[in-house]
Amino acid sequence: MRPPTHLPLLGFLPFLLLPSLACADDVDFNRDVRPILAAHCYKCHGPDEQTREAGLRLDEIEAATADLGGYAAIVPGDSEASEVVLRVAAEDPDMRMPPGTDDGLTPAEIDTLRRWIDGGAAYAKHWAFVPPQRPDVPAAIEPFTAAAEHPIDRFVQARLAQQTSLQPSPPADRYTLVRRLYLDLTGLPPSPAEADRFADDTRPDAVPRLVDRLLASPAFAEHTARTWLDLARYADTNGYEKDRPRTIWPYRDWVLRALSADMPFDRFSIEQLAGDMLPGATDAQRIATGFHRNTMLNEEGGIDPQEYRYHAVVDRVATTGTVWMGLTVGCAQCHTHKYDPITHTDYFALLALLNNADEPDIVIEDPDVRRRQQQIDAEVEARERELVGQWLPAQDQLPAPRAEFVGPLQYRPAVAQAFRRWLEQQQKQAVDWRPLTPVDLESTSPRLRVLDDASVLASGDVTKRDEYRLRFALNGPISALRLEVLPHESLPAGGPGMAFYEGRRGDFFLSELRVRIDGQDVALHEATHDYGKISVGSGDPAAANVLDGDGSTGWSTSGREGQASQLVVNFEQPIDPGTESAAGEFEIELLFERHFAAALGRFRFSATAAETPVRASSLPVDLVRQLAESNPAYPQYERLQRHFLRSSRSLARHYAPVAALAATRPEPVRTLGFRERPADHPRPTHRHHRGEYLQPREPVSGNIPALFTSTASDAPQNRLQLAQWLVSEENPLVARVMVNRVWRNLFGYGLVRTDGDFGTQSEPPSHPQLLDYLATEWVRHDWSLKWLYRQIVLSATYRQGSDRRSGEDPENRYLARGPRVRLSAEAIRDQFLAASGRLSRSVGGPSVYPPQPASVTALAYGNASWKASTGGDRYRRSLYTFTKRTAPFAAAAVFDAPSRETCIARRQRSNTPLQALTLLNDEMFLELARHLADRHTASSQPLDRIVTQLFRAVLVRPPTADEHAAMLDFCHQQTAHQVPREQVLFLLCRALMNTDEAITKP
Amino acid sequence: MTMHPLHSITRRQLFRTCGVGLGKAALASLLVGGGSRLTAGQGSVGQGTGGSLHHAGGRHHAPRAKRVIYLFMAGAPSQLDLFDYKPKLAELAGQPLPPSVIDGQRYAFIQPDAAVLEPQFPFARHGQSGAQLSDRLPHLAKVVDRLAIVRSVHTDQFNHAPAQLFLNTGSGIPGRPAMGSWLSYGIGNEADDLPTFVVLKSGGSLSGGAAMWNSGFLPSQHQGVPFRSSGDAILNVSPPPSIDARMQRDSLDLIAELNQQRMSVTGDPEIDARIRAYEMAYRMQSRAPELMDFSQETAGTLEMYGAAPGDPAHGFANNCLLARRLAERGVRFIQVYHAGWDHHSNVAGGVKAQCKKTDQASAALIKDLASRGLLDDTLVVWGGEFGRTPMVESSAALGRSEGRDHHPQAFTMWFAGGGIRGGQTLGATDELGFHCVETPVHVHDVQATILHQLGIDHQRLTFTYAGRPFRLTDVHGKVVQALLA
Repeated sequence: MRPPTHLPLLGFLPFLLLPSLACADDVDFNRDVRPILAAHCYKCHGPDEQTREAGLRLDEIEAATADLGGYAAIVPGDSEASEVVLRVAAEDPDMRMPPGTDDGLTPAEIDTLRRWIDGGAAYAKHWAFVPPQRPDVPAAIEPFTAAAEHPIDRFVQARLAQQTSLQPSPPADRYTLVRRLYLDLTGLPPSPAEADRFADDTRPDAVPRLVDRLLASPAFAEHTARTWLDLARYADTNGYEKDRPRTIWPYRDWVLRALSADMPFDRFSIEQLAGDMLPGATDAQRIATGFHRNTMLNEEGGIDPQEYRYHAVVDRVATTGTVWMGLTVGCAQCHTHKYDPITHTDYFALLALLNNADEPDIVIEDPDVRRRQQQIDAEVEARERELVGQWLPAQDQLPAPRAEFVGPLQYRPAVAQAFRRWLEQQQKQAVDWRPLTPVDLESTSPRLRVLDDASVLASGDVTKRDEYRLRFALNGPISALRLEVLPHESLPAGGPGMAFYEGRRGDFFLSELRVRIDGQDVALHEATHDYGKISVGSGDPAAANVLDGDGSTGWSTSGREGQASQLVVNFEQPIDPGTESAAGEFEIELLFERHFAAALGRFRFSATAAETPVRASSLPVDLVRQLAESNPAYPQYERLQRHFLRSSRSLARHYAPVAALAATRPEPVRTLGFRERPADHPRPTHRHHRGEYLQPREPVSGNIPALFTSTASDAPQNRLQLAQWLVSEENPLVARVMVNRVWRNLFGYGLVRTDGDFGTQSEPPSHPQLLDYLATEWVRHDWSLKWLYRQIVLSATYRQGSDRRSGEDPENRYLARGPRVRLSAEAIRDQFLAASGRLSRSVGGPSVYPPQPASVTALAYGNASWKASTGGDRYRRSLYTFTKRTAPFAAAAVFDAPSRETCIARRQRSNTPLQALTLLNDEMFLELARHLADRHTASSQPLDRIVTQLFRAVLVRPPTADEHAAMLDFCHQQTAHQVPREQVLFLLCRALMNTDEAITKP
Repeated sequence: MTMHPLHSITRRQLFRTCGVGLGKAALASLLVGGGSRLTAGQGSVGQGTGGSLHHAGGRHHAPRAKRVIYLFMAGAPSQLDLFDYKPKLAELAGQPLPPSVIDGQRYAFIQPDAAVLEPQFPFARHGQSGAQLSDRLPHLAKVVDRLAIVRSVHTDQFNHAPAQLFLNTGSGIPGRPAMGSWLSYGIGNEADDLPTFVVLKSGGSLSGGAAMWNSGFLPSQHQGVPFRSSGDAILNVSPPPSIDARMQRDSLDLIAELNQQRMSVTGDPEIDARIRAYEMAYRMQSRAPELMDFSQETAGTLEMYGAAPGDPAHGFANNCLLARRLAERGVRFIQVYHAGWDHHSNVAGGVKAQCKKTDQASAALIKDLASRGLLDDTLVVWGGEFGRTPMVESSAALGRSEGRDHHPQAFTMWFAGGGIRGGQTLGATDELGFHCVETPVHVHDVQATILHQLGIDHQRLTFTYAGRPFRLTDVHGKVVQALLA
């Protein structure tokens, strides 16, 4: 902002005439000055070099006070000599800062700046970047002697007395308090009987007793998990176009268990960010890493999968910033943060720490599943043995070949003949395969590694067109090659492929297979496979496709995830290293090219020197080897019998029930998690110009933002160290951010209202000392969330009545009354479930489908169906409702439940006509109103009693006389219109559920 | 939240003075300005939104249009077979494009060396403006002098969901507010008994899904309301059959009475807002059946659109007619999706079939709006999310042949009414139809222009969220002046 000349003094005369509101040493940089500079100046004179104007930055004292050629932006102690003051106060619009659409500084703001500069222009680090210190608890305030023993009340009352003329509200009545505590700590209402018990409990410790009981109930975790799952963007589908289902509810259940057990928040965090990297990581710790697998997955055909992986990592960085730092680090994706000291490079350094994980399925060991598998295996084996005994001859009773007709196939002798022929055929085809171990592996993207059994395992990233090149030492003659595609636990759905979107998980698509010796193509022919099926599209999976030079044709074994298959190709001219010119090395190239990434995950090559062309076999390879070796006897005769039994058409009818039984064998649940990459295969991270995927620039190594490195003892080098740093005392934000979140859950608003942003643009906390007191005490209490909840709800501040006694402080910043806020979508439904008597209390497991009109999901891609759950699952807590991102549960979305596409630090709380229509007419709510009414329809009690009971079932407290009269009038009015009693009660329940009070925490 | 306290005070006073039998103004303010009310009780969702608009009447300049009907052709129609005639492609048919054209381009399905596919239909010039159209658009040809055809639109996204989101929200990743939500937030509604932002749909599935009408970080009442194809158009707008009109009215009265009693105890103005919301819901419930009652339309009108109420085979035509009815009733942003344009295979057959479903009704909508005097202040927009390649798509694995792949580099949209200068064709692509060579119009420019016509400066309609101000056009976009009348 180099001015051509200094401004006339006239420019700021007007404000010189303003009375000073306070003396200079009252001006606090963080509280008073920084917000002004951040709002009006930092955009062009802040941390971002790219947008910095005139080379001037005002966010650091050295730069702001630097000599600009005989003058300085800020001259400490002399506002009249400070260019900043001259410019912001200029009357000439060409001179006045800031330029453009900004309305400029108010006289009061200019005055603040002036007083700050005159007082010495002391800069201070933004409050949130300074680690919290435990403040002293203020003394009780004289006029409010109402026993302010609780530290929270001391802080709140001190501020009330200093800054307002407000008085704390009287305590909420017992019914209000009991409903508030139940809803806040469990998301469920008390029954009228429970409420009465509390109301009648005159013991002095009645409240703590109730609080402890609620904190110990499983409902506490179910309720408090909701806000965490909003941050974690937990959903049951992948998002984007196809939005297919995913299985990651084990992560949600992990959160429930952790919250229930009051796992310390530091451990809770480390396990979710880097549980896989902990020494001896348990299944549970690996399941916890699902936190960052909750990102969306684009399964649209034709996408660039690496582009969407990049977007997922970008989301992980932003989410990590919001959740553990309360900072909008996402702003620095495209350029250095305009307001907070986070550079573009800082951003990618943080990204690098989160960018070095592979994203495997985690197979959950479950003894129940294992037991069931063993049971079924044993039963299948027994029934197979029985069928074998019934139909197939023992080895020494194999029939001699007979030319003549022996009758229809269902007769035993005919089957025996078929079996004998099959055996001979298998033996004839069995050739001696020797596994080939690659000596050198190359790939366009995945990392290839040779396992002990000579198979090759791929890991890492895949693209829509990947090529593998394997080199082998030629150690004998070859006339044919066998490619086995093999399962592996680390692969999607167990492999054999690496496809993880669009096509079936675990799929692959082998477009071409080429063999070269000394760079010369070897002519191949007679390709066969034992199984082929292509997912997505109508293509033919013929084995010969891999030899036709057309990348769009190929071989795939879709539908056989987790199983082995094979493909055999023959050489037109067998090669023999002894006689050929071949120098003892040959090369196999595999090309995988589809509109989705479909490289092979695990495979093995074997060679044979058989003299006649060889075909693929559906027998297990070890059996083939034994058949080939032990000619002419039949080794493992029993296995051969069984294999025939399973595959023979002649016995298909008899085998069908056994096959059906085998199909019921349960698979272990697979959830999504992280696995840090091996040291020899790190994923490089680059800075991306403007944050764009297609513009990678220089490599960046991992670190936390430079803002924090000065205080960090050791800068984090990997994801685990990042996690440990985030919950260390070196991170000044984490405890404040989390305490603020819990405060908001209870009061409806945080002490810092910009919950997701504690940066320089944030609103300062309403009670900074209280925030720091709770933050430090919470850490001292071992990061216990239950301690924190308990601490807050036992304060008199929380227990105040919420009625408004005046128009003052409409937003309740000073906390002179209790919270009164609308309930979350989940709590609204859950409390009606409870009131109706239908609530199912079962905890955890796969998500469920409460009823909603089919038209809701019909709008989603592929006309997705929504089959409402039956039985208890229809009435589970809303936490368990299946979360479909592109078609969120309608009755929840209308009450501001997010679609879970991105991390949500704070839900909105709207108040709309569509909410009214939902509560009035949605069949799901009507069903609950009907259930509640039905419980009283047959009651022999007089109507005035029933009306009270219904009122209390929904609203807990007893009705006032006026309310009682209004309800009775309504009932009589309906009865006068010949409305049957059950309908009258139903209408009354529905009306009660539609009151503002019903969906509001009192 | 630092929304101007004046707003909430004013509204609260209004509620107090109007009582339950609320006037139209207050209802409009509930629907529209509910945003400010919401954010007032909301924390800091919209904090520091400085010069942004919170309520109706706060436009940046005089609007040329009051409402938008956006015919979104999801799946991406082939511009090369409808609007952008390239005889050169017939010459080169069967040969690959030169590497200089295709190097460094990314494709969804094809390899870049795929051969050229010639235009699939004959083209001719129409109207006084002499606009070139293929013979698949005979009805549009008759109103072509009212259209501004832009052949040089381009986008950043080459997959459906991201590209549809990009057009609607300015970002390829779900989570930003839709254009209709920005309008709702910026200037509210004209209607007091219908949603501000209505979504209609015909044809197949929509890749972008609900994120295309989501309000993102804007207050949720700015969300688009999808009309359903079965049951009530608006979800839950009617009570079940077991509750008759009298019961419903009595119930609402009881709810209002209980709410008022509670209000007198707690003094919480949220209860006031709730009472208004219920009255508004009641009005919507009364209005919806009238809106959907096509029996008020003449046989001539139905015929002009090719509409057949209740018959999903005529879904697009029915929706165009419904769009006009919504426009008449003051709905601000009406988005009519028709999915089915993703012709990776047999592009000729696909274009033919979709034109049959859409050409007549699109043209009828223009005619109908014009004859009712609505076209002047209704901006009609037509277009897909990207274009289609000059090269052929064929794939054995997918069983595809004679198709066209996704082409973000150039596609065609048209605009009509609402202050648009009709009878012009703007922009041009190279002789292969590959790149824009004249007046390139980026998606952000399209967005800036639509907002501009409604009286909004796209650079000034902002909302602060997660530490920075956001806008529909990110940090880009310029109004396409050449389009304007």
